Amino acid sequence: MKMNAFRIMTYPYIAWITAMIVIPMILILFYAFTIEGNDVVSIKFSLENFTRFVTDTTFLRVVGKSLWIAFLTTIISIIMGYPIAYIISKARGNHGIILILLLTLPTWINMLVRTYAWMGILQEGGMLSKLLAFLGFPGVSLLYTDFAVTLGMVYNFLPFMILQIHTSLAKMDNSLLEAAADLGASRFQSFWRVTFPLSLPGVVSGITLVFLPAVSSFFIPKLLGGGQYVLVGNVIESQFLTAGDWNFGSAISLIMAVVIIFSMWLTRKIDVQPGKEA
Amino acid sequence: MKSGTFFKVTTVLVGMGLALCFATACSKKADQSAAIEKYGSNTLKIYLPGEYTSETLIPNFEKQFGVKVIVELFDSNEMMYAKVQAGDKYDVLIPSDYMIERLLAQKLLQPLDKSVMTNMKELDKAVLNLSFDPDNTYSMPYFWGNVGLVYNKTKVDPKVIAEQGYDILLNTDYAGQIYWYDSERDSFMVALKALGFSMNSESKDEINKAYDWLLKMNDTMKPTYVTDEVIDNMSNGLKNIAIVYSGDAAFILNENKDMDYIAPMQGTNVWYDSMVIPANAENPKLANEFINYVMSYKASYGNSEAVGYASPNARVLTEMKAPGAIYEHNRAYLPRAGFEKDEIFHDNETIRAMISELWIKVKAH
Repeated sequence: MKMNAFRIMTYPYIAWITAMIVIPMILILFYAFTIEGNDVVSIKFSLENFTRFVTDTTFLRVVGKSLWIAFLTTIISIIMGYPIAYIISKARGNHGIILILLLTLPTWINMLVRTYAWMGILQEGGMLSKLLAFLGFPGVSLLYTDFAVTLGMVYNFLPFMILQIHTSLAKMDNSLLEAAADLGASRFQSFWRVTFPLSLPGVVSGITLVFLPAVSSFFIPKLLGGGQYVLVGNVIESQFLTAGDWNFGSAISLIMAVVIIFSMWLTRKIDVQPGKEA
Repeated sequence: MKSGTFFKVTTVLVGMGLALCFATACSKKADQSAAIEKYGSNTLKIYLPGEYTSETLIPNFEKQFGVKVIVELFDSNEMMYAKVQAGDKYDVLIPSDYMIERLLAQKLLQPLDKSVMTNMKELDKAVLNLSFDPDNTYSMPYFWGNVGLVYNKTKVDPKVIAEQGYDILLNTDYAGQIYWYDSERDSFMVALKALGFSMNSESKDEINKAYDWLLKMNDTMKPTYVTDEVIDNMSNGLKNIAIVYSGDAAFILNENKDMDYIAPMQGTNVWYDSMVIPANAENPKLANEFINYVMSYKASYGNSEAVGYASPNARVLTEMKAPGAIYEHNRAYLPRAGFEKDEIFHDNETIRAMISELWIKVKAH
């Protein structure tokens, strides 16, 4: 009885999802498998978009580079984010809340604006290159390099990783650690055997939240890597905006979606293993 | 407790909203009802490129006509086209020549009311009756200019760049010193012109030759591909040669005295950004008034002075180049007129898709 009342409340949500997610996805599917035909038949079903993509080494190289940058961003975010999340979750009293606030504060500013700020810091004659010149390395421009792109990506996506890991660490039952200590586990052992496995779901959802936007990001590489830094997001953008080839653009989007879903599935599968052991 | 807080917050927000409505509505109500009587509406929605007006243009128009202007900005003609084609409603657009051609072909524009265009007689002959709109039925010029090279005259010999034109972009003496404007259209224009072809070439063979030219440029010259960052970076003298639109060049030249501008001898793209009224505009009457207002001496002077692009108003052009004026010695301000190798760009869907894909391949090479 009560559940039925709640069920009605989900209808607007379902309608919203249908309009904003399901229908656009169906459109992308439709565009990806069609090409614009001649005057008689305006739409033709075809796999041409896909063969065009996989037979072109340039596009394959671009996809490889995108996956690599996203992978690098995710790994660095985990390595940097885990200790930070751990420290925050161990902070006493109100300190944790303040630290979380400090962490999320910059995300209130638009991502684009923050990326522009990095351009100013990294470019020739900017803050960093002035500092380097002072230390005896004059004329260094860090802008438009792999370093700048990775830095920009990690900077923008790191908070998502930290928040996810922090959530799973914070809700952990402290009595588990007490029990481990009672049974003679050292602090490292209780971390490695208890805390870490229990925080893995947080790491996995962190990976989802960092890897997904990183692999499809197009303005961070464009601004910090320069126009020569072509990632798959830039190719899709140019297909829609300048080339006007929505079919090919949709096909690339679909290929990326499949690649991403596959890598997510892989991550979840890896995540299940330690749970089974315990 | 929780619902109590929620209620309070909502009340305060609604109250603030209402106060804001009253404050703005009451002060302007008087003028605006007059505007509604005269033009059928008191709001005008315009869609134009970013950083393209003087700060006073819109406020002055609003004051003089007692109306409210809603401004939306676009990054590229293509982005504007995507929205207009999707049915978004605007009263005035400011696209480029080739985009006006495309909008006209799809019947997305309506004719202007020439009886309102009293300021048309003030316009320079060079900007009227052009191929994309032969008798200015649908469009009135806003800015015009060309594409050329900004160079640091203390590092690059003016004689060398005058002799080589675009070929200097393959001259490895200057490798690593180049800002390349990241746009497939301008890039292929440069390559086609450097090879002596028309920038509107429809020959696959010529376009592939241009593609090879660009690949060679990309691999040997290591250029940095930028868009609007080029304005600040060249003003700061970070590199020695850059492909720049003339109006941006005029701004750079005024900021940095070491910089000079040249329209290469192989010819270049001359372009005209013009004001048009979409077929689905809600307030065409007011739109016509706006277009006429922008062409006036005062409004056009303000725009041109602030932005740096050449005005279509003949008197403004003369005065900007007069002794003591801000663009007196500026070689980028007034676009080269009547040079036979200069061309207006024409839109071709097949070629566009082709060069767009090739350009991505050049950059990813």
